[in-house]
Amino acid sequence: MTRKKVKLAFITNDSARKATFKKRKKGLMKKVNELSTLCGIDACAIIYSPYESQPDVWPDTGGAQRMLTQFKRMPEMEQSKKMVNQEGFTRRRIVKATEQLKKQCKDNREKEMTEVMYQCLTGRGLQNLVMADLHDLGWLIDQKLKDIHKKIESLKKSNSSQAVAPGGSSKSASEMVKNEGGQGPTLEQEQKPVMDLAVDAMQSGPQWFIDWVNNPNEHMGFGGDDQMMLPFGDGHSAMWSSTFFP
Amino acid sequence: MAKKPSMGRQKIKIAKIEVKNHLQVTFSKRRTGLFKKASELCTLCGVEIAIIVFSPAGKVFSFGHPNVDSIVAQFLSRNPPPNSATHQLIEAHRSATLRDLNSQFTQVQNELEGEKKRGETLDNMRKIASERKYWWEKPIDELGLNELEQLRDSMEELKKNTKNQTNKLFVEGNVNPSPFFVPNGSGMVDSVETKPYQIHDSSTNPHVHNFGYGRGFF
Repeated sequence: MTRKKVKLAFITNDSARKATFKKRKKGLMKKVNELSTLCGIDACAIIYSPYESQPDVWPDTGGAQRMLTQFKRMPEMEQSKKMVNQEGFTRRRIVKATEQLKKQCKDNREKEMTEVMYQCLTGRGLQNLVMADLHDLGWLIDQKLKDIHKKIESLKKSNSSQAVAPGGSSKSASEMVKNEGGQGPTLEQEQKPVMDLAVDAMQSGPQWFIDWVNNPNEHMGFGGDDQMMLPFGDGHSAMWSSTFFP
Repeated sequence: MAKKPSMGRQKIKIAKIEVKNHLQVTFSKRRTGLFKKASELCTLCGVEIAIIVFSPAGKVFSFGHPNVDSIVAQFLSRNPPPNSATHQLIEAHRSATLRDLNSQFTQVQNELEGEKKRGETLDNMRKIASERKYWWEKPIDELGLNELEQLRDSMEELKKNTKNQTNKLFVEGNVNPSPFFVPNGSGMVDSVETKPYQIHDSSTNPHVHNFGYGRGFF
């Protein structure tokens, strides 16, 4: 059985159409049967085709007649409430598919702007972005900041309720690289050795990072303990911005 | 948002389902699938169908082409189908409408497929990027207080720069003249800059940048 995608249009080739009809009719009847059995409900199907003088019926003529009589006895409103024809059914499918498309576009856009955001965080300029990109980027940044603030608040709360003083503020550079940053056993301990990171940096990192890795003890002009730094932040932005924002 | 792993296709026994919840769900899904198959059969082979299904609650669902009532009437009365000129005209019109709808549906489906593929590509990009293990790209839950504060400062800086750049563009009259609300249907593009942007409606993107000119963008 081939799994080629079938175009949703009338099959013009007569023999192909007849073959498709036979197969799909059989499958349809099987599905009606399964639905009826699995859910313990009454169902019937009637198919008029040019290939048979009498309609194909499931379960059988008698059963279908019984069900249709029962159907016709129901109040008019009950009958038509959940009644649908090809046109209505297809319109509904279009609406649903359009909604899925919209959602997928939105997700893709967010993924895309996330990449842009991380690139900008490490020095990519904003000049190439159009208004809409900047708008979306700003929105994404705000979302992330919300989460960051929340997490900072919760960490600070749990710190103040702990008897042990947190030791997070002064970490040596190599420890930061190994990502033990912060307090609590709940954090993931990243054990990637410094050398591997350095190798990665050689291939893909910005220049400042490469310099930093080569001179782990050099504080690069900042006082106090150095840590793996982002280009911005901590009031040192003036130093970086000349490099990244000419 | 990552897709929750579902149980996939499971072979089930064709007997009445025991658990009421499962029965309800199965009924709903299979009924929809049944109507979909019937709809396809009508389109592909040009036949006339009626399907009538009684729900576990006693409601009745029906699908019919050209419509349920005419098929039911025809079946119960055993009359031959109407074939007047008027009838043929009505049928021809109906077919034309359906052709349009079907091609419209196919178009949307194809676009959806394209965007799904793009999503996978973007996921791969993120996977590769996160393997470079910059600590600031890790999930926020995995960061320590110190890192978080650093990240926050960097993000605040970036936010400031973004605002400035936006204002700069605005002042320079570089507001993109093409309409904001064009749906994105073009699929893959190489760079962020040339990508047409998508529809934001207020329910999905409530944030509005106020750039001090007294108007938001949406």
